[in-house]
Amino acid sequence: MTDLVTSPAPLPTSRLTDFWRVFRRNKMGLVGLFMLITIVFVAVFAHVIAPYDPSATHDVASSDIYNPPSAAHWIGTDDAGQDVFTNFIFGARVSLIVGFFAAFISVFIGGVLGIVAGFFGGRVENILMRFTDIMLVIPDLPLMVVIVALTKKPSLLNIIFVIGLLGWTTTARIVRSQTLAVKSRKFVLRARAIGAGNRHIIRHHILPLVMPILVVNAVLVVSLAILNESTLAFLGLGDPTAISWGQMLNYAFGRGAMSTGAWWALVTPGVGIVWVVLGLTLFGHGLEQVLNPRLETHHLMRPRPIVKHEATGKPLRHATRQRVPSEAPILIEVDNLSISYLTENKPPARAVENVSFTLREGELMGLVGESGCGKTTLMLGLLRLLPAAGQIVDGEVWFGDTELTALTDDEMEAVRWKGISIVFQGAMNALNPVRTVGDQIAEAIVKHNPLMKGKALEARVSELLDLVGISPEHKKHFPHQYSGGMRQRAMIAMALACNPKVVIADEPTTALDVMIQAQVLELLDSLRKKLGLSIIFVTHDLGVVAEMCDSVLVMYGGVTAEYSDVDTIYNTARHPYTQELLKAFPDLSQPDKRLASIPGYPPRLDDLPAGCRFAPRCPLAFERCHIEQPEIHQLSERHFASCHLVEKRV
Amino acid sequence: MKRWRYLLGKIGWAFFTILFVLILNFFLFRVLPGDPARAGVHDPRLKKEAIEAIRVRFGLDKPVINCFESLNPIKIGSCDVNPLDTQFFIYVKNLLQGEMGISYHSNRPVVDILAERLWNTILLIGAGQILAILIGVVFGMFAAWKARTSIDYGALIISLVAWSLPTFWLGIILLFWGSNNGLPIGGMQTPGMSSQPFLVRAGDIARHMFLPTLTYTIVYMGEYMLIMRSSLLDVLSEDYILTAKAKGLSMFQVLKDHALKNAMLPLVTVIAINLGFTMAGAVQIETVFSWPGLGLAIYEAVNRRDFPVLQGAFLLIAIAVILSNLIADLMYSYLDPRVHTD
Repeated sequence: MTDLVTSPAPLPTSRLTDFWRVFRRNKMGLVGLFMLITIVFVAVFAHVIAPYDPSATHDVASSDIYNPPSAAHWIGTDDAGQDVFTNFIFGARVSLIVGFFAAFISVFIGGVLGIVAGFFGGRVENILMRFTDIMLVIPDLPLMVVIVALTKKPSLLNIIFVIGLLGWTTTARIVRSQTLAVKSRKFVLRARAIGAGNRHIIRHHILPLVMPILVVNAVLVVSLAILNESTLAFLGLGDPTAISWGQMLNYAFGRGAMSTGAWWALVTPGVGIVWVVLGLTLFGHGLEQVLNPRLETHHLMRPRPIVKHEATGKPLRHATRQRVPSEAPILIEVDNLSISYLTENKPPARAVENVSFTLREGELMGLVGESGCGKTTLMLGLLRLLPAAGQIVDGEVWFGDTELTALTDDEMEAVRWKGISIVFQGAMNALNPVRTVGDQIAEAIVKHNPLMKGKALEARVSELLDLVGISPEHKKHFPHQYSGGMRQRAMIAMALACNPKVVIADEPTTALDVMIQAQVLELLDSLRKKLGLSIIFVTHDLGVVAEMCDSVLVMYGGVTAEYSDVDTIYNTARHPYTQELLKAFPDLSQPDKRLASIPGYPPRLDDLPAGCRFAPRCPLAFERCHIEQPEIHQLSERHFASCHLVEKRV
Repeated sequence: MKRWRYLLGKIGWAFFTILFVLILNFFLFRVLPGDPARAGVHDPRLKKEAIEAIRVRFGLDKPVINCFESLNPIKIGSCDVNPLDTQFFIYVKNLLQGEMGISYHSNRPVVDILAERLWNTILLIGAGQILAILIGVVFGMFAAWKARTSIDYGALIISLVAWSLPTFWLGIILLFWGSNNGLPIGGMQTPGMSSQPFLVRAGDIARHMFLPTLTYTIVYMGEYMLIMRSSLLDVLSEDYILTAKAKGLSMFQVLKDHALKNAMLPLVTVIAINLGFTMAGAVQIETVFSWPGLGLAIYEAVNRRDFPVLQGAFLLIAIAVILSNLIADLMYSYLDPRVHTD
């Protein structure tokens, strides 16, 4: 499955222009930034914009109070006969000043504590984080209320300090975990090995990588500080000389705006708060998406409809069908299957192209190739389990008499597991961590046989576990209580739960150590003989399948390189890629021979070479190989290879 | 065994945190200058005897704690005082006996005032919290499931806006709207209701609860939605979801049986951590709607300079939040089998 995951774009850390280039495309972030810029502008030029001077004393007649919006007072007057619009504009100043200064204090404290805790670890970290945990639990606004109420005269400075000194906990936690993550990176370890001091490492290696997260967090802290200030002011704990939005609401709410119906005095200040806080939130959200992009795709997204274009390759169906009648019946027949990954603004990645093979009853086929050659994609395509970007663009998959690509989603669900089941690599994540293993096996049985219940179901689960050599009492245990090998065997037991005809084993031994690998392989082989299963065994290691396989399909760069029975592949391989793979396989008769590995990597699927996909690495490549893609040639009744060299000798 | 050690650790930690809050609460109200009873001691107009009487009444004649006569940390006093006869231990002893002092304003015991208020707050927060979580989880689920569609973006923007609303302001706006549409403008029940049959009374309280609960729900659902969305997105890209799909389970079965429980786990922690913020909401909402709970008690105590009530209410809220956190931790250990092995 690893070859499906594309890594996120590298972080634009150093250059502001790089950052802007990416940020520009984030609509939410841009809207937030615009909202912030306007309000900062208003706050800075308040005395220019405001129609009245808020500090000027003037005679207030009772007829001036709570006047509705008019030409003289655009948004009316408040309880003191003052212009609401003027107060609104000057309120921006107070809110922003409190927000930014308080947040500065919080972020500074949280940043220092977080870096110190994360960097030095041990007892220092323990004490600091325990303290942070305590402060995190204590409800902050009631504490602020208590402290501000107890200080004799609430001034703006006091409020800034109280909000700032109580708002650092989340920052400390986030910075600490980021520092921990950065600390163990290679370049930091290297700097330390060279003998760099702590201060140097923190300043030049830790800070630059903690900074982006700190900035995103700071935006959040500013918005919280502004909300807290307005709340304190609304509760009557603000600085009475500084007209903030919260203060305006305090006066309006406490002095009869509600009963007078003076909505303008109640709505206006709140709009200011929402404007700033929403601006900050959107801006922060945008920043986060740019600095920490995540692929928002998952396994339950609606799959793309299967759209088949005109066939580009020569159909092989008839060729593969010509078989001796005495052979076992065909179970799976894949005919010219092509799968692409489609991403926006990019050409489609042709992950699988014109692949054909047949699988007979009781046959074990090896599917061989390096990582990134489309093996897993082919298998997921077979079961129609491709990720959202994947699409079957051509070909047919026959399972007995049904063509799988033509089924509806519901019909396909019935084929999965009962007809064809799959064992994934890395069974740690392939089993749900919060459900017992037995429960997960039983689930598959019940899905396809709802009549199986109670004791019979229990017995079947025990039987399956027993079959793979796990003592049945372990069925009550959770995956994390199993060892790696046990988990993979449990996965195999689960795959057998509904007596499928075909089991796909997708690199089932990759994450295991050699001894366990051998055990799992042996188990699969013995199960095949015992239950008459057909198995497709996906691996990047030709040696693994040598002893067990009946046939081998070698894939390279999404296409069939060579396909034949196992003897032909091992003895008279014709495709240079197969030959190279065989050289990488230790020969027991010549233990002194050097093992060859193929230099280079498989091609990127979104950037395929024009000619033969193996040409750039092929030791035998000639001019034509770089220009023209070879067709699949049939060399004998059951031997296929796609190589220009083969053509001449036919 | 491991489970027990985990539980004991969590309980011990909660206990330690409560102790910290006790100490904080004690010193806050002695160090800061606002309390008139203590500030009054320095009033030049008072006679010596009167000052002494005030000092005795509030126990200020006793040493603060061993080795510290007064709150000046530099001035070291006698260490061989009977520890039970210091201000701090008298405070703790009184608390253990359910004694929180007498309200300056109403002359009633603080404990009685808070006891009748606590349930009102629990009623309001409980209803609001349950609604906010339900709506947040359902919307978050939809947003994650339909990731990168217009449903997702719509839900995201709604939750960001909801998050940005100042609680008290939303309350004011809803109150303004509600009072023009025949809803009660504040309080918990109409006067004279106590003689009515239970159902009529319950209906009356529900009418009073409608706007405060609505305010609460709107403000907090946004956050739950965001968390549910990102948590479910994480879970849905796990390999075991692919396994579940490969088993032939339908979309709905995969969501229900494999994704939801796993995605809810982080939410449990967030709900617990959020309870502190929740109290901030309660103070504002109860103030706007004159809902007679702990939050309004705090607001009133601040305006009346009724410091015993303020001290008691803060302590009660802090302890309630700590205990809720503990419950969340215990729930988490029940929900996630992996916890005990860490």
